[in-house]
Amino acid sequence: MRLLISSLFFKSPFENVKLHADKIKQCTMLFKNAIHAHMKGNFDEFERITDQVARFESEADAIKRNIRNHLPKGILMPVDKFQLFQYIKEQDRVMDEIEESLFWLSYRHEKIPEELRDDFTQLIDLVIKPVNRLPELVSQTITYFRTRSNEDRNKVKSIIRDIRQWEREADLVERELKLKIFSTVKNAISVFYLIRLTELIGSIADHAENASDMMRAMIAR
Amino acid sequence: MTAEAVILICASLVGFYMAANIGANDLANAMGTSVGSRAITIRQAVIISIIANALGAVLAGAHVTNTISKGIIDPSLFKEADRFIAGMFASLLSAGIWVNISTYLGLPVSTTHSIVGAVIGFGIMSIGIGNINWGKVIPIVLSWIISPVSGAIISGCIYHFIEKKILFSDDPYSSAKSYSPILIFLVFVVLILSVIFKGLKNLNLNLTLPKALLISTPISAVIGIFGRHYIEWQINRISSFDERGYTPVERLFAQLQLLTACYVAFAHGANDVANAVGPWAAIFSAVKTKSISVKVHVPFWMLLIGGIAVGGGLMAFGENVIRTIGENITEINPVRGFCAEFGAATTILICSRLGLPISTTHVLVGSVIGIGIARGMGTLDLRVLKNIIASWIITLPFTIVLSMILYRILLYLI
Repeated sequence: MRLLISSLFFKSPFENVKLHADKIKQCTMLFKNAIHAHMKGNFDEFERITDQVARFESEADAIKRNIRNHLPKGILMPVDKFQLFQYIKEQDRVMDEIEESLFWLSYRHEKIPEELRDDFTQLIDLVIKPVNRLPELVSQTITYFRTRSNEDRNKVKSIIRDIRQWEREADLVERELKLKIFSTVKNAISVFYLIRLTELIGSIADHAENASDMMRAMIAR
Repeated sequence: MTAEAVILICASLVGFYMAANIGANDLANAMGTSVGSRAITIRQAVIISIIANALGAVLAGAHVTNTISKGIIDPSLFKEADRFIAGMFASLLSAGIWVNISTYLGLPVSTTHSIVGAVIGFGIMSIGIGNINWGKVIPIVLSWIISPVSGAIISGCIYHFIEKKILFSDDPYSSAKSYSPILIFLVFVVLILSVIFKGLKNLNLNLTLPKALLISTPISAVIGIFGRHYIEWQINRISSFDERGYTPVERLFAQLQLLTACYVAFAHGANDVANAVGPWAAIFSAVKTKSISVKVHVPFWMLLIGGIAVGGGLMAFGENVIRTIGENITEINPVRGFCAEFGAATTILICSRLGLPISTTHVLVGSVIGIGIARGMGTLDLRVLKNIIASWIITLPFTIVLSMILYRILLYLI
């Protein structure tokens, strides 16, 4: 037996959005380790971690599809359905860019020049920071939708501000790194390889910021 | 044993069956929002249901009931008491079976509509289709629209008010505390008004609205002022709130929800127990007096037993069902639960005062959706509405046909 009152309630899609964000966070450490392995010339280790990230990516993809496919017409949510889809799309792009950066690295077993390594490490650290806040952003939003209090809403907003701030810093580092690549690396293929790598890494933070912007729109009053 | 005694025992059994089914379907739904928010435990829900429901039936239930529900058929057309008794039997049984089936399928049917349908069914077989007052079916159809829509509007407005004034404020807990006397006041005004309008009719006190307001306002104001301190004391005292992971505001509303849960059970006792007790009393009266009267006096003990039987039905059939609610609904919290129940209670009072036909369950469903539309209810599945509308429409033909068949069989047996 079941009751009408309980069949009126639908499983919140936000639980899966949180799972999706968790999957991405699990990859950020792997991402960093993979690039360090590449810098040290340990390509076997690099390939191993890249495969692991690719597995996580397909798992995250399955969660994303699950969210999209299981929100039929007639589901009433505290947020607009398409805003939620936009959010999950951007969050998924974060994962795609992480994977894409590693793939790009794997196409050419050329070590990143010694003098650029610190800059790359700095950029990666800055890019990882906003991504690591995504699970917290989602769970804080879930709390806000439950309590509807200003306090919880401000917590969400402050996470969004942090993410935006880190993205801006990552942008600056990305620009400086590009300048440095052009001035120090003379081989055209290497320049292309490194510039594209820099752009791919930088876009990880861009998509994290886009996701947080969508979240800001969802909690707008 | 005399034939009379056998009939009375059978009538009581069928009456119990109907009452228990009402408890398992209607009352379980009504208590679901309280258990879902974990403001009360299942055991508390059962205890509250039995006590408040019996009180509602005794204090505010219909002590005088039309023998034929809502005047759908004219009892004077019956020449023999036997046929009338058989008809009432068939009605009770078929309404009970329908409510039982729909409880099993999880459909929210109105018990009132079921009994009306069943009466129409045996009316068609006994006095003919032409003698049925089909005009009385119109209010039922109207109720399909009025109940959920008015429930949604009123509850949505209450939620909107609470969100604006309490939840969105800088310090929600202090705002909740300062608004709590007003909320307690309003809950009691609604409660006392419905006791006055429904209950004191039995004492032949016909109070006008201004007089009723004059009585309820000061009483509720006093309860509101003291209630605030009582609630604060309770919040500090009850440690199990921490286990439930409540925020301070939710703790406060969990206390208020205890009130509205009692009120919903009370209103249910006042409105819906009569669906089982009315026909039961009609059979008793017909057997004893060997005649059919238009109006039957329902004895105090029948209302009491009916009220308890409905609560018992919740305990017997409904307990498992509300347990799954408590586990499945994580979206309901005390704030939302309070708005839904208070909104439903207010809707029932206003609509029954205006003479509009409504159904408790349907109003509650409307309330939950109304709060959802105000973006305050997490994720709701409105596809269920299709099932709801289907079950409303099916109720009448199903009970009509079943009651026709049962009536035929009973006549054959006599």
